[in-house]
Amino acid sequence: MRRPLLFALALALAGCGKLDQEAMVLTVEPGWTAEVAASEKDGFASPDGLLWADGSLYVADEGGSAVRAWRPGSRTTLLADSRAGLASPEDLVRDSAGNVYFTDDTRGGLWRTDTAGRTVALVAPTRGLPSTEGLGLSSSGDLVVGDATGHRVLKVKPDGTLSVLVGPEKNIAKPESFAFDESGNLYIADNRENVLYLLRLDGRLHRAVADRPGFSPESLLFSGGTLFITDSDNGKLFRYTPDDGLNVVAVFGGSLANIQGIAADEGGALYLSIQSDLKGRKGYILKLSPRAGRQSPSSP
Amino acid sequence: MDLILRLSDWLYLLLNGLAGRSWLLDTLISLPLDNNLVKAGPIGACFVYAWWSGGDEADTRRRRATLLVTVASLVFVMATTKIIADGFFQPRPFVHAQQAWHLEDGKLVETAKLAYREPLNGGVRNRYRALERGEIEQNDLGSFPSDHAGFFLALSLGIFLASRRAGALALAWTGAAILLPRIVTGMHSPLDIAAGAAIGAAMLLAIQFVARRTQQWALIPLAGWTLRHEALAAALLFFVAFESTNVLTNVRDLAGTGEAIVEHVAGS
Repeated sequence: MRRPLLFALALALAGCGKLDQEAMVLTVEPGWTAEVAASEKDGFASPDGLLWADGSLYVADEGGSAVRAWRPGSRTTLLADSRAGLASPEDLVRDSAGNVYFTDDTRGGLWRTDTAGRTVALVAPTRGLPSTEGLGLSSSGDLVVGDATGHRVLKVKPDGTLSVLVGPEKNIAKPESFAFDESGNLYIADNRENVLYLLRLDGRLHRAVADRPGFSPESLLFSGGTLFITDSDNGKLFRYTPDDGLNVVAVFGGSLANIQGIAADEGGALYLSIQSDLKGRKGYILKLSPRAGRQSPSSP
Repeated sequence: MDLILRLSDWLYLLLNGLAGRSWLLDTLISLPLDNNLVKAGPIGACFVYAWWSGGDEADTRRRRATLLVTVASLVFVMATTKIIADGFFQPRPFVHAQQAWHLEDGKLVETAKLAYREPLNGGVRNRYRALERGEIEQNDLGSFPSDHAGFFLALSLGIFLASRRAGALALAWTGAAILLPRIVTGMHSPLDIAAGAAIGAAMLLAIQFVARRTQQWALIPLAGWTLRHEALAAALLFFVAFESTNVLTNVRDLAGTGEAIVEHVAGS
């Protein structure tokens, strides 16, 4: 009795050593191909927020306490790191002048790195922002910042002037990410209460997606009339339109399940940051490309 | 290993080939997956039979000691399968039927699809339909190793060590009604089942071995206590049999609730 059991156990354990599928991406929506665009071997630690601009991907490298730029096919360029006071960069935007702004959920504040490489706190953490999350840039050049501690959404002028856009009375628990649609309405991801809000231009706040099991919005990207939403809790990439509602694009499993930031290049490919092991400084940037013949998500 | 994977796939395709042909057959095959009474009721009954089936007091005490160690070992079996599942990712066979990419040497490689015959009825069919809409829990994508195989094989084997007659029935039910339908419906591959069963069997035998050699001073008196307090022991036995029907799910939920309460109290 014991010999066959021991043999079976040995077989199973031997098998464990060579299981080749440590992680997977399941494309629920047809017409996408998936690839690893970059990993920690390319100079990242564990990436969070992403931004695509002028042929480069800007990365809030949370695991590496740094903000980096990466042009596909080359090594990363360091824009700012812990020497400038960064601890846990979360989200980032870039203005038309090339300044990169970012939030930091451990250090707090709103930071700016200019084209000369100087990093300063545009809004210091001591101004009531001990932990900052989402970051957005409006067409008028104003920034919106998520205040995780005060449960507020703030508007910041380029000169650092602060005002409250959505106060704590609206019960947004953790404004994790923002995206403006083509009309200037603002989508807000609350990944503590698992609600997607829409703040209309007239100031009305609407719960676009709420009380849906298996949905916890992490990062938002508005591209080609569609809102793309990553969900780190459930390992999913969603698309949302007011007409079609919420639909799953892809499911991520194993060491790729912790899907964080999202950006899109000019060709419509989506870049997704994966934090495989934040403390162990491991992560990936995946690229989902539309197959030939498929309408690009960023095409009009 | 490639040979084992190929063998596993071949056996899976053979058994999954039974699904999707007959509504009645699929309904019967799905029944133990969807209904806890059918799934584990007979195993619980075998456990209770073994508990009471001793020929004399010494024999009963020995059997009960074996069953008590078996119950304790189930916790370790579940913990082990969960830990291994966190470290190794193998998609469920019905997940393998979808368009997917897997990570191999740092690159995403398009996964060769595995054929899948969808059952005509039952909970797995609903889960497969939900998967096609992307409505699957992330931690439900992988299936290696099978915790059901580990749990029920350990339980049945423990019953077998206490009572050959009840144990043989429990082992047969585990194989035919619990494990086989999981392969037929595409919930698990034969490799998932073999690994889970091997873990369950090895852990049970190892814990029984250690307990017999080191814990006799506690086990025999404990079993004797159940004889002196039959009514109370029977009441506790009810909980064990009840919980064995759902793979300790309620115990795990309770542990989670307890943890949340501690965090809540500590945080407030």
